[in-house]
Amino acid sequence: MGQFDRTLEYIDQLQHAATAAAVCERLLGITSDFGLTALMAGTVPQPGTPAGQQKQHVLLCDWPGEWLERYVARNYVDHDPVVSHMKQLQAPFQWHEASQGIRIDKSSGEVMGDAGAFKLRDGLAFPLITLDGQIVMVSLGGEAVELSAAEFGQVSLVSTYAVGRAMQLHTMANRTIDHIVLTPRERECLQWAAVGKSEWEISQILGISEHTSEKHLLNAKSKLGAVNRVQAVAEAIRRGYIS
Amino acid sequence: MLFSLTTQELMERPDLWEAVHRLRYKIFVEEMGWDDLRRPDGLELDQFDHDEAVHQIVIRGGEVAGYQRMLPTTRPHLLTEVLTDLSEGTPPSGPNIWELTRYAVAPGFRDGRRGVSTVGTELIAGFVEWGLKRGVDKVIIEFEPMWVLRALQLHFLATPLGYQRTYGNQQVVATLLTFNEHTLDVVRSRRNHFAPVLARGYPDMLGQRRAS
Repeated sequence: MGQFDRTLEYIDQLQHAATAAAVCERLLGITSDFGLTALMAGTVPQPGTPAGQQKQHVLLCDWPGEWLERYVARNYVDHDPVVSHMKQLQAPFQWHEASQGIRIDKSSGEVMGDAGAFKLRDGLAFPLITLDGQIVMVSLGGEAVELSAAEFGQVSLVSTYAVGRAMQLHTMANRTIDHIVLTPRERECLQWAAVGKSEWEISQILGISEHTSEKHLLNAKSKLGAVNRVQAVAEAIRRGYIS
Repeated sequence: MLFSLTTQELMERPDLWEAVHRLRYKIFVEEMGWDDLRRPDGLELDQFDHDEAVHQIVIRGGEVAGYQRMLPTTRPHLLTEVLTDLSEGTPPSGPNIWELTRYAVAPGFRDGRRGVSTVGTELIAGFVEWGLKRGVDKVIIEFEPMWVLRALQLHFLATPLGYQRTYGNQQVVATLLTFNEHTLDVVRSRRNHFAPVLARGYPDMLGQRRAS
């Protein structure tokens, strides 16, 4: 009972963590007892996703900093045997099983060898599936990993709560930005800007002054957090305000 | 549309009663392989289909598309009688805590691909609405650990009641989910459907599509 109470306490702490960094820290505080000292959790990018966009898929990360840079810069995600094993298996496993199970191509061997250089010799990984069917991969690693099957279960359960908390924080952060209300006029101006009309042309079409159409577009731009009109239009389309 | 019926009310509609128990058989015996429940008549029934059980049924196009059964924790339920090794210590109980069992989405309505189908989220919206109306704010569910993430995404407060166990090839963890109006808001906005799902009365005879 004592051990279960501790698990509950960890989970309670995780659910009260206020930032993703705090979630990481608390989770690693628990898993480091088993030699798991580094953590990565995120949605798996489609193969070929540009390096610049790969980091947006990260929910929780406490990898050694240089390792993350190298992982992204060298596009290791497309060659990492842990990632491909997880995509196939869709169940929890330990890293060393991933490299045993599949034929290792040169790049895969390089990923695992490089990980070792960053004191990531073994670890465990498991997939989670979100409400909308996205796969979240959770990977924990370290230099000397030792845990029983029961402890594996405990670590994966606690990690699931950590990822859940990270996703809550993520949506809360997005909601503040997402709460944009465009006026009908701002929307109309953006709609015309999207088909290449100038401020003067928009003013003529809508029967307003050029100054007013400029003002609507400026307001829309700042509400959408865009740096220029092109981005404002793109952002408005992406969010479905205009088509 | 989700209909919430007592066992007595369900029995007054033999067509619905049979469709519900046949769906349960199809999913829990044939799909999930719970062989203890195997019966020659192809209907799944157990000792918990008693007069205080509440059957929640999603109807789509004149068919039973989804189902879940709510059991009061003030009398014996699965966690206290059958799945006892899923709980460390005494499980929570009380009039505000019910156990959700036999959550099922019929095969033809699994449009969520890997994610949760719209019938699946209707069942979730349904028990939350139902609970908030009658002073129930907690449910015990024995589900795959994967569901913990989804529950948190829907802003339930989740607490495990024990360790996860492996039954056959399935991992199960008993979890207490606490909800409030905010949870209902999040569930509704994830569904992008804000009208209540809980319907009054009975559905039409099965096989007959509503005009609306």
